[in-house]
Amino acid sequence: MEMTGSYRIGAPREAVWAALNDVDVLKLCIPGCEEIEQTSPNTMTAKVVQKIGPVKAKFDGAIELLNIEAPASYTIQGEGQGGVAGFAKGAADVVLTEDGDETVLEFMAKAQVGGKLARLGSRLIDATAKKLATKFFDNFHNHLTGTDPPGD
Amino acid sequence: MKDGIGAPVKRKEDKRFTTGKGKYTDDIRNDNQAYAAFVRSPYAHAKVKGIDTSAAMAMDGVIDVLNGQQLTGDGIGNIICGWAITSKDGSPMNMGAWSALATEKVRYVGDAVAVVIAETQALARIAAEAVEVDYEELPVAAHIEAAMADGAPQIHDNAPGNQIYDWELGDEAATDAGLANAAHVTTLNITNNRLSPNPMEPRSAIATYDDAEEHYTLYTTSQNPHVARLVLSAFYNVAPEHKLRVIAPDVGGGFGAKIYIYPEEITCLWASMKTNRSIKWTSDRSEAFLTDAHGRDHVTTAHMGFDADGKITGFKIDTLANIGAYMSLFSSSVPTYLYAPLMSGQYNIQNIHCNVRTYYTNTVPVDAYRGAGRPEATYLVERMMETAAREMGMDPAELRRRNFVQEFPHQTPVLMQYDAGDFPKILQMAQDSADVSGFAARKAEAAKRGKLRGLGYSTFIEACGLAPSKAAGSLGAGVGLWESAEVRVNPVGSIEILTGSHSHGQGHETTFAQIVADRFDLPVENVSIVHGDTDKVQFGMGTYGSRSGPVGMSAVVKAMDKVEAKVKKIAAHTLEASEDDIVIEGGEVKVAGTDKSMAWHEVGLAAYVAHNLPDDMEPGLKETAFFDPVNFSFPSGAFICEVEVDPETGETEIVNFTSADDFGTIINPMIVEGQVHGGVTQGIGQAMLEQVVYDDDGQLLNGSYMDYAMPRAADVPSYSISHHEDSPSPNNPLGVKGCGEAGAIGAPPAVINAITDAIGTNDLAMPATPQAVWNAIQAAK
Amino acid sequence: MTNINMTVNGKAVSGDVPDETLLSEFLRENLRLTGTHVGCDTSQCGACVVHVDGKAIKSCSTLAVALEGADVTTIEGLANGGDLHPMQQAFNDNHGLQCGFCTPGMIMTSVDMVNRYKAEGKELTSDAIRDELEGNICRCTGYHNIVKSVEDAASKM
Repeated sequence: MEMTGSYRIGAPREAVWAALNDVDVLKLCIPGCEEIEQTSPNTMTAKVVQKIGPVKAKFDGAIELLNIEAPASYTIQGEGQGGVAGFAKGAADVVLTEDGDETVLEFMAKAQVGGKLARLGSRLIDATAKKLATKFFDNFHNHLTGTDPPGD
Repeated sequence: MKDGIGAPVKRKEDKRFTTGKGKYTDDIRNDNQAYAAFVRSPYAHAKVKGIDTSAAMAMDGVIDVLNGQQLTGDGIGNIICGWAITSKDGSPMNMGAWSALATEKVRYVGDAVAVVIAETQALARIAAEAVEVDYEELPVAAHIEAAMADGAPQIHDNAPGNQIYDWELGDEAATDAGLANAAHVTTLNITNNRLSPNPMEPRSAIATYDDAEEHYTLYTTSQNPHVARLVLSAFYNVAPEHKLRVIAPDVGGGFGAKIYIYPEEITCLWASMKTNRSIKWTSDRSEAFLTDAHGRDHVTTAHMGFDADGKITGFKIDTLANIGAYMSLFSSSVPTYLYAPLMSGQYNIQNIHCNVRTYYTNTVPVDAYRGAGRPEATYLVERMMETAAREMGMDPAELRRRNFVQEFPHQTPVLMQYDAGDFPKILQMAQDSADVSGFAARKAEAAKRGKLRGLGYSTFIEACGLAPSKAAGSLGAGVGLWESAEVRVNPVGSIEILTGSHSHGQGHETTFAQIVADRFDLPVENVSIVHGDTDKVQFGMGTYGSRSGPVGMSAVVKAMDKVEAKVKKIAAHTLEASEDDIVIEGGEVKVAGTDKSMAWHEVGLAAYVAHNLPDDMEPGLKETAFFDPVNFSFPSGAFICEVEVDPETGETEIVNFTSADDFGTIINPMIVEGQVHGGVTQGIGQAMLEQVVYDDDGQLLNGSYMDYAMPRAADVPSYSISHHEDSPSPNNPLGVKGCGEAGAIGAPPAVINAITDAIGTNDLAMPATPQAVWNAIQAAK
Repeated sequence: MTNINMTVNGKAVSGDVPDETLLSEFLRENLRLTGTHVGCDTSQCGACVVHVDGKAIKSCSTLAVALEGADVTTIEGLANGGDLHPMQQAFNDNHGLQCGFCTPGMIMTSVDMVNRYKAEGKELTSDAIRDELEGNICRCTGYHNIVKSVEDAASKM
């Protein structure tokens, strides 16, 4: 499952980049995030509750920032264990491009699930992953600009 | 004899099932019942680096959490494959170790790493979620192609390149020559889709340990409780046989999936000793998709040559078989000795060569599922015949007729000696019943409605009643394949039959009673069948491979022979007549041609009171027999499937399905037809609906009834069935051949041959879903 | 825990159950009426069908606490004393069952089906029977004889 998207954010690139690296902002923006804790400059642990199809699970996960090219791009990668529900993994390449006072955020994300999530929810994974990715970047846009993204 | 052989006697067992009084394993609850839930890997291939049970153990009501290190530490043995296959280079098969609870590595999604024992089932499941397993993911081979590839992840250390064996049957040089001299060669590349058996009752086990007696009792959903006890005792070291009682009560369908002794039963037995509690585990459906052995999953390339008259000159087969992550109990035999020997079909083929390579993959173990090897062979042979006929511009029925075996016994080049049959007759019966001559008109009429109508054949043979034990042993089987029976005439004259066959839907309580009623001219109500309990029944090999009729019933007949001889001796002694003059009829034992007689029950009583028996005779009236057949039995049949395809949507409707079959002697036609209905429906399921899907990461993607499509009532038609009984099996006393698997074996090629006939392209894989059919139509444009 | 009271097979029953208890669990575990079977986790197979206030429902996806005061009939309560219900008899007469596991649900669904069609004055064709059995899976019989059983019983109910 792969997804792409782009957002125009009415904030300078430095501000967008700072937010992308702010644990508190990430906590607000990751759908279902209950807890997040920084364990090193580029790693965090998190607890996330998600429902995929008929399976609801609490994921204990690790988040890592890779390929950091401040303030232009990074890869945010997460992996969560959902007990008997299985596991979920995802990664997004995020690229920030300056455009005057605004910033264009582009992402390319992919997601994978395993265990019961795959067995019972595979029909719904694509839609769910797309929804979650969209939700994250919508939240992120809203947080920085105080408005909904255009067209949403 | 009203209720004897050939009568459609209504089933004696039905009342308890129609009133909710059946007793299945999960219906049983012991006084000190505790419950097991398994912690299963969500990864298809990973190292197990650690298991943290502290959170689970801290929960109220959790009794224990047990792991694989403890299990192997207690000496519980690895799970075995009971049929040794030798590669063509003479090397033994590469069997990897399989522990009931994984220790160092998990090899498929669902591999169990720990078990939680708790006071309730709900709590056990919640606590299982709290067990934290530290996995290190490894690369995955989820399909045969991935497992065979250079640099594929190594699933078992002792199986280089993941290959288990490279086996062959037949004469390759002669077959190559036969193909080289052919006027026409047809080539097929086909896949036999992976299926999940899905008996409606999920597997269940209740294990109870008695520490005073050091004795175990296991209630389980088994098709063969004695084999379970033997294997649990001799190989898994759970307990010696005399300290282990295995009971298979009412069992809700099997289809092969309940032959094997799985990790869960082993673990429950062991855990009952560890915790000194009765341990109950019942699979949920999603778990069943991950733990019940799957079926089929072959990829095959084959060539069949024909001379100018359409006679087959050679048949060469190269098959790759996916065995899953571990070798299940009979897994090795399914793509070899239950497959290649069927490649001659109903045809006289002099040259056959079959090469089979099997591979481990990171998937659920694959083993026998209704038909076991024979559906895979039949699908190949019958798709081949239909495709060849189309390529050569011949009528597919005529091509078959030209190649039918006509004389019996017939020795094929692939081990089998066919005993009896009449293939042209059966095909004609099916053609008449299906009104093949009217097909062209029906096709034209359908075309007016915008529908594509097609007709497909399958003329198949199968081998049932796996035998003889000596031959099977020489081919690598780890068990004998006989059956036993005890016929117990009680002092009041009623009869109990103790059989090693197991009924889980087949109706043995009725059909076994019928053969006794027939023999002794008694009402079926006076006969009861005892089965499924190792403490009650002497021994037995269980029910699979359509063997209960040809093997199980034959053992009953042998025991009845002994009973009859003794009855006649007692009657002759009492009535002062010659044994040769004694006849049994109408509930009496009589001296022929006189008015001297004893009631049947008087003979029983005489045997037990023993006041007046011949001097050298032991009291009592019960006899045991073991029957080991001299050959397989060979049921055969002709199926004709007629379909209509909507070319706009690919939706296919089976408008007519006709079966003409030869099961030898039929004991109860109502029950035999029921077996055909069910078997054909499973075959239609394989052909049109069912397939277990794995992604490349080894995730099973359709593990529920929302995702895995099984036939429902509106998916299948009513069936038209006829029987040919004039070629009884010469190899057992009743002349029966076995009927349980025929439908599942013969139906898939009939369906696909019909659909491909309708849409005018041979390029269609199972399952032929509307999407697959529509795609095939578009691709052929 | 919630205290629930209902009528099951004509008898008043009560019990204290956790709120998440399914009707199938209440019947099987609390009342030990094990004729109601559970064959899947997703409300697809229909082995668990019982009647609540005269209508067929899947007991595996109904909460027991939602049925306070309800009148429940299970397969054990279908026969009238020693006389089998015509549907039970028809399944025996027409070999409409093999392993018997789906049978309780099949029979309860079929009784409801025939009652509904009769009440509405509709003709119960074999195609209609097959469509109506959409929520009940049988792996043994291929449905041929189940359809015959329902047709037979419908003529006698």
